[in-house]
Amino acid sequence: MKRILLAMMIALFAAGAAANASGTTEAKSAVVTQEQLKADEAANFESKSVGHLLVDFFKETGIYAMLNPSPDVVNGDGEKMSAFAQSWGRAIMFVIVFILFYLAIAKGFEPLLLLPIAFGGLLANIPIANMTGPEGMLGIIYNMGIANEFFPLLIFMGVGAMTDFGPLLSNPKTALLGGAAQFGIFGSLVGAAALSQYTGMVDFTLKQCSAISIIGGADGPTSIFIATALAPELLGAIAVAAYSYMALVPVIQPPIMKALTSPEERKIVMTTSRKVHKLEKLIFPLMIIMLIALLLPEAAPLMGAFAFGNFAKESGVVDRLSNEMQNSLINITTIFLGLGVGSKLQADKFLVPETLGIMIIGLLAFAAGTAAGVLMGKLMNRFSKEPINPLIGAAGVSAVPMAARVVSKVGADEKPGNILLMHAMGPNVAGVIGSAVAAGVLLSIFR
Amino acid sequence: MEIDLVGESIKFMILGMTVVFVFLMILVQFMKLQAYIIGKYFPDPVATPAPTSPKGPAEDEQARVAAIIAAVTEFRKSKSNSKG
Repeated sequence: MKRILLAMMIALFAAGAAANASGTTEAKSAVVTQEQLKADEAANFESKSVGHLLVDFFKETGIYAMLNPSPDVVNGDGEKMSAFAQSWGRAIMFVIVFILFYLAIAKGFEPLLLLPIAFGGLLANIPIANMTGPEGMLGIIYNMGIANEFFPLLIFMGVGAMTDFGPLLSNPKTALLGGAAQFGIFGSLVGAAALSQYTGMVDFTLKQCSAISIIGGADGPTSIFIATALAPELLGAIAVAAYSYMALVPVIQPPIMKALTSPEERKIVMTTSRKVHKLEKLIFPLMIIMLIALLLPEAAPLMGAFAFGNFAKESGVVDRLSNEMQNSLINITTIFLGLGVGSKLQADKFLVPETLGIMIIGLLAFAAGTAAGVLMGKLMNRFSKEPINPLIGAAGVSAVPMAARVVSKVGADEKPGNILLMHAMGPNVAGVIGSAVAAGVLLSIFR
Repeated sequence: MEIDLVGESIKFMILGMTVVFVFLMILVQFMKLQAYIIGKYFPDPVATPAPTSPKGPAEDEQARVAAIIAAVTEFRKSKSNSKG
């Protein structure tokens, strides 16, 4: 006891001495710099009249900067900005972010992400402030967690902790529907390649085509992850396209689903699913991780975070951790992810023909994914012992749980009382796995 | 030399769709296997919560007693406060 006290006293004394020492040196240096500062100012400062001050101030306003584009202005990455991007470009971007605000608030388009993204876009286009530069707020957020692909992984962790694999485990073969819907990714990859090879409207590289096509996975974090890895210059447009179309799933999917199925097929009632053992749910995330480790390590970051979140939830002994992942952690990350992605909505990056191309390809990707899922559902219905309603194939595009809800609604419209929601959740969560696998394949190609 | 974007992307598509399907098919087989094994050795899905259920009410009882004690203590404290 005595010894401990002694040791503490010695430690305290040492700490005090150290603080004292640093204090004196700081004071000394402060005196020196203060004198230097005075001398510096006396040498360099010139007195100005009030009028002169006002004129100088006016030159520092946003109005002046937008009316008089200067060739020396650089964007956050230190590249020179065109006169158009500095003047009209900023104005157009302001209008675009206000439209995004409208869509997020009045129309309820994925507001949790679209609103921060749009606000980030608003801040990114403020002249002079240079908020997207390495020292600006948005630049710091971007470099902190998006440039190194960290934030999407945190989101994936939370999504994992929210996902229930029960419906998939009770009817494993519906996972194949989630695979078919990944045609949305690879079909639109060919689409993007064809668009830039044959039309000349845009000029994408193979990496850029791949980054755009991942929109077809209908999975926000995966899209951001891949876009950052393969084509960071297109990140803003890709993220906006992915989240806008995810919000538009209830508009895009039903016509395609109805066009590809007959009313009889839509009326198919699926047998109730078997009860899933708790152990199955517990082992499932470990099973995925082992498969990823053995077959596709490139998808390990995405699936690792996802499986960790899910394992924490299903273990049942770390509720505090899994609650944190599902709530505060994912919310904080969403704020940063949104603002960081918004920083890529600068006029000189966003107002390019490529953005239009990305929007078109993204729409095609969603449509192709839905169509492939439904067609696979028809095929499986033909060869399966139990009846499978082909509509649930449309839920194979990830967009959890929106796509499954849409399926359930279309099914109930055709035959009231036919509840497909739980059956559609199977392909829906398999779609998340499928798009992560597809992302891993794309990454491995360009490794 | 100009890269044939469409040709390359078709190759990617074949690779990608194959990997996705093979991966999910393996996953499906493993899911079926584990369902079979678990169904065989841990037969009743309702049986697993059973061992915890006798413990559950006991804990409940304890928690209720603790709550009652806490409430009584609090009540007495507030009473003594108002008196003082």
